[in-house]
Amino acid sequence: MALLELDDLTRRFGGLVAVDHVAMRVEEGEVRAVIGPNGAGKSTLFNLITGVLKPMHGDVRFAGQSLIGLSVPRICQRGISRTFQLTALYPQMSARENVRLAAQAREARHWQFVGGGVTFAAAGRRADLALERLGLTAIGDRPAGLLSHGDQRLLEVAMALAQEPRLLLLDEPTQGLSVEETAQAVDTLAVLLADNSISVLLVEHDMDVVFRLAHRITVLHRGAVIADGTPQAVRQDAEVQRAYLGGFV
Amino acid sequence: MTPLVLPTYSLTLLTEALILGLFAMSLDLMVGYTRLISFGHAAAYGFGAYACGWLLLHTSLPMLFAIPIAALLAGVIAIGVAWVCTQASGVSFSMLTLAFAQLLYAVAYKWTSVTGGSDGLAGIPRRPGPFAFHLFVSRIGFYYLVLLVLLAALLFCLALVRSPFGAVLRGIRENEPKTLALGYNTRGYKVAIVALSYALGGLAGALYAPFAGFANTELLFWLLSGQALIMVIIGGAGTLIGPILGAAFFLTVEHQLSNYTEAWALFFGLIFIGFVMFAPEGIWGLMRARFRRRGGPAELEYRRGVARAR
Repeated sequence: MALLELDDLTRRFGGLVAVDHVAMRVEEGEVRAVIGPNGAGKSTLFNLITGVLKPMHGDVRFAGQSLIGLSVPRICQRGISRTFQLTALYPQMSARENVRLAAQAREARHWQFVGGGVTFAAAGRRADLALERLGLTAIGDRPAGLLSHGDQRLLEVAMALAQEPRLLLLDEPTQGLSVEETAQAVDTLAVLLADNSISVLLVEHDMDVVFRLAHRITVLHRGAVIADGTPQAVRQDAEVQRAYLGGFV
Repeated sequence: MTPLVLPTYSLTLLTEALILGLFAMSLDLMVGYTRLISFGHAAAYGFGAYACGWLLLHTSLPMLFAIPIAALLAGVIAIGVAWVCTQASGVSFSMLTLAFAQLLYAVAYKWTSVTGGSDGLAGIPRRPGPFAFHLFVSRIGFYYLVLLVLLAALLFCLALVRSPFGAVLRGIRENEPKTLALGYNTRGYKVAIVALSYALGGLAGALYAPFAGFANTELLFWLLSGQALIMVIIGGAGTLIGPILGAAFFLTVEHQLSNYTEAWALFFGLIFIGFVMFAPEGIWGLMRARFRRRGGPAELEYRRGVARAR
């Protein structure tokens, strides 16, 4: 059984079909990339999976159970954590507080009213671990709003990781980064994903990033899947080249 | 803390300042910690005052029971109000809180048989008990009661904002969609903090009724909601202690200025503008900055900038 299964998923905005009968699977331990030109429906797909948008047709199954109708926080509690295309952080909190608040959501008593030292300590331990894995330990005490854009992108990944998700959704993790920053971020992510312990659905514009990180690639064009396979196969697919790669790869 | 030597007038003023301080502090939970701007917090104050006054006039409950019951009622009713108001956010949320306060104002004005209409409730007693316990009945005793309640509420709120629950509130304040995406039911958190804030605001009103001996529609009027917001901002939003100082400052300036001019509100407005423009972190923020400077200059600058942007 696949970890995540999208079945005949459809979402329209007025006359525009943003996601058109999409079927897709993410296996346990797999890094699956979704690529496609602007407006291909990548972000809408993320929003359908995470419950921000309701599909008009089709089903999203996670670990065998349908997610349709569940609220955004409930879907996250099931074990799906995401990052946003436009960095979403708590700018006034320190980097560590950002990650700790993310980790706290996984604690049984995350709503604790008074006291809560134990909850904070447990969440703090997982926050430190996540910061370390992304090489952010040194900047843990700085306000998130003061970090460089590259560190902010990685901090958001750290927040998602600290939730120990069964499925990690990364929405263009290198968006807006310089060439050097992108290379660094991809190195860090590659190390992180090397042992196949995390299942990932990755949306990304940058082809180099995708071909470096992904095990399998799904190509979207105008909301529909036009290709699906290993990076090798997708690279050679003629239709993909016409739609997206422009014959350059 | 021993105002035994103070003249009656000052003691009365001090007691009122503490009651208003509790009221402003309760509003800070919403405004400062969750960025839920309420334009109708007088609803909590007035409701608490009317409820406590009614209980003292029409039942034989002692004051020490009537006050917490009134506060509890305010909190319970606020759950319903919050459930409706949190359907919206931003300015719409503020307008809905204002609408509820005005609704309550109209009810208090028209429902004469219960609220006394435009006269309000008068002659509210400070009934002693239970067991003939009368320490808090006298003017000075009541001062200590208010002081005790304020300190207890302050300690509770400080613990609350530093708890895991408080951390989620900060998350909602800084980035609500992100907090939602992290798996927090932000609506539930907002309803809870609004109910708690109204309960504490109701507690302040419930103290005011036996303090002043009356409850009238002025306690539900939007002017009081606006003044509470001013106290929070002048004192320093998001600090709890700041709004208490802000309330004392507001009351002191009002009493001093009104000795000299009818148009004291005009001058107070200028003071308020000065605070917003030059010291957005408020009285408590200024005091804290004097005592300890945390972080490097860049961080300090950043914090000030953020406070200003609010």
